[in-house]
Amino acid sequence: MKRSRSPAAATEVGGAKGDAPAIEVHDLTVSYQAKPVLWDIDVEIPAGKLVGIVGPNGAGKSTLIRAILGLVRPASGWVRIHGESARRGRHGCGYVPQRESVDWEFPVDVRDVVLMGTYARLGWFRRPGKRERDLAMRCLEQVGIADLARRQIAELSGGQQQRVFLARALAQDAQVYLMDEPFSGVDAATETAIFEVLLALREEGRTVVVVHHDLQTVEEYFDHVLLLNLRLVAAGPIGTTFTRENLLATYGGRLTLLDEAAEAVRRGAEGRPGWRPPAGLPRT
Amino acid sequence: MATTGRAPKNVIGLEYNTAVVLAGTAALGLAAGSTGSLALLRRRALLADALSHATLPGICLAFLVTGTRHFPVLLLGAFATGVLGVLVVGAISRRGRIREDAAIGIVLGCFFGAGIALSGVIQRSGNGAQAGLDGFLLGRTAQMSISDDIWIGTVALGTVALVLALWKEWKLICFDPDFAGVEGWPVRRLDLLLMVLITVTVVIALPAVGVVLTAALLIIPPTAARLWTDRLGPMLVLASVFGMLSGAVGTAVSARSSDFPAGPVIVLSASTIFVLSFLVAPRRGIIARTTIRVRRRRRRERRRLLGAIYEGVEENGGRPVGEAELARRRAWRPGLLRSRLEHARRRGLIDWRSDGIALTPEGLVLATRTVRAERLWQEYLRTEARIDRDLIDLDAEEIGAILSPEQMQALENSLRARGRLPESPIRPGEPGRGGS
Repeated sequence: MKRSRSPAAATEVGGAKGDAPAIEVHDLTVSYQAKPVLWDIDVEIPAGKLVGIVGPNGAGKSTLIRAILGLVRPASGWVRIHGESARRGRHGCGYVPQRESVDWEFPVDVRDVVLMGTYARLGWFRRPGKRERDLAMRCLEQVGIADLARRQIAELSGGQQQRVFLARALAQDAQVYLMDEPFSGVDAATETAIFEVLLALREEGRTVVVVHHDLQTVEEYFDHVLLLNLRLVAAGPIGTTFTRENLLATYGGRLTLLDEAAEAVRRGAEGRPGWRPPAGLPRT
Repeated sequence: MATTGRAPKNVIGLEYNTAVVLAGTAALGLAAGSTGSLALLRRRALLADALSHATLPGICLAFLVTGTRHFPVLLLGAFATGVLGVLVVGAISRRGRIREDAAIGIVLGCFFGAGIALSGVIQRSGNGAQAGLDGFLLGRTAQMSISDDIWIGTVALGTVALVLALWKEWKLICFDPDFAGVEGWPVRRLDLLLMVLITVTVVIALPAVGVVLTAALLIIPPTAARLWTDRLGPMLVLASVFGMLSGAVGTAVSARSSDFPAGPVIVLSASTIFVLSFLVAPRRGIIARTTIRVRRRRRRERRRLLGAIYEGVEENGGRPVGEAELARRRAWRPGLLRSRLEHARRRGLIDWRSDGIALTPEGLVLATRTVRAERLWQEYLRTEARIDRDLIDLDAEEIGAILSPEQMQALENSLRARGRLPESPIRPGEPGRGGS
């Protein structure tokens, strides 16, 4: 296990640390069973920003993240992370997968899962020790569930499970974070807690890319947005990219979503913070 | 081979040969328990079953080609077709877009059928040595010699050592292989290594347990162990202990009577452990779960009874309430009510006197809490008609945890205004014993 990670890697890209994109995606096409799910994506994700990936269901949002991380093999194109090929560069990435992607009946407790974020640094054979356990506890504190450290993971609520994944990603101590719907199906308190962690990560100059499905909160949460629907419809700073025309182009003829999009844009135009559904209600 | 240890020497009260075999099968159980745990968690358990069945043609072919019954030679054949079987499962399910369980079924059937056909060929050829091959079907520990034993033991211990050495790596790829991949672990190679471990374990288990039941030895002990613990380490240790126990018990029984092939007896021992675990394991066992359910129901019934008494006493202006009236209040069957009352009296919650039933101080505390919560809930429902009462059945205490403090305050005020709020334990209007 070798980790060619951040400081050295970042400077290698060249002195222009601030300007070099964290992630470059070039000509990326991905297909499942001979049907394209991502078509010819070209995009650069700037470093040190909170970036949202937005688009309708089945638009390829998760696939884009998985392709960046080298978890699916593209039909064409390539990805660079901090100037390195995805296979090497992804080792410096923090990853928050979808909650449903693992078996929560697995016989481990919360701290065990968070400790997994330290495994790569430990390398082969070495077991996590006191230093790693302390780090895991700090990460759990940061997401507000330190009191659940020794709890079996099956006993957690959905929001708590999501926080465990986030804590594990924090333990990875990465420069680039990729998160697959971290806000999906969580309670309002968890949503706030997660957002605060994202802000803290950006504060430290890290790049955070988040697959997001709630148009209502896009403007509030992100600096930068990728609008995706099989193809990349638009990408750029929120102010110039999250526009009515772009959303119409992204969501196409889907009426309910279209209304929602229009509503979000209208609110944005009036410069008000978005309406938030009351606590506990599921988001559409 | 079996003849090497025929002399009835006594080692710790066992025939020498039995002791040898016992050590071998125990080592086997150890390996099967730990490898099986990983196989189960990585969802490879059924694949192990296809694998073990697929070894039969290899054993027969090895015998047909070489003409020997040496374990190492036969097991090499077993290894070859076992691996081939696994590869075919992978090829069918990936290439042909067929679900893996179907692919496993196909391979298991084909290879095992081929193996049976080949053993028929061997049988017809009239080679006396074929008797040794029968043992591979259901296991025959009596054939094991000290050299086989050392060999099996070494491989088993090596397997366990590998499981321990790569502990955190196994944990990671079993729990979240995608994350492991992102972190740069060679997931595919580790998976391959796990498959090799599984294959090796299956193959060395073949002589003792047999083609048909080997997978059971990998699946049952870990499943039983999982019932006892929520942590991976203890699960592996327990699974290994269960595996060793099954191996040892199975061998001992089968050694005593040659009517029982070792494999089925070993697997039956494991199954016995599983059934016991299923019954008595804490929290997950049937008995523990039933106890919790029964206790919870009793508690609910007890509170219902105390609530009814409270209301009766309240309406009677503090006088005890009669049994008949109580029965009317909640439409209890007389017999049921009586047993509930007896139960409550034994717990010191009620005072059952000639003039009726009253609450003891302890009973009053519980009753007040119950009625209070019940009325708050009713008050809430009265004002919140949107809630479907059939769908939500809240235990009294849960209300405070769900509603906000402001809501609770409002409900309490509204009840208090009508004199319906049971305050801290004061006997409902009973002058004689009030003041407590």
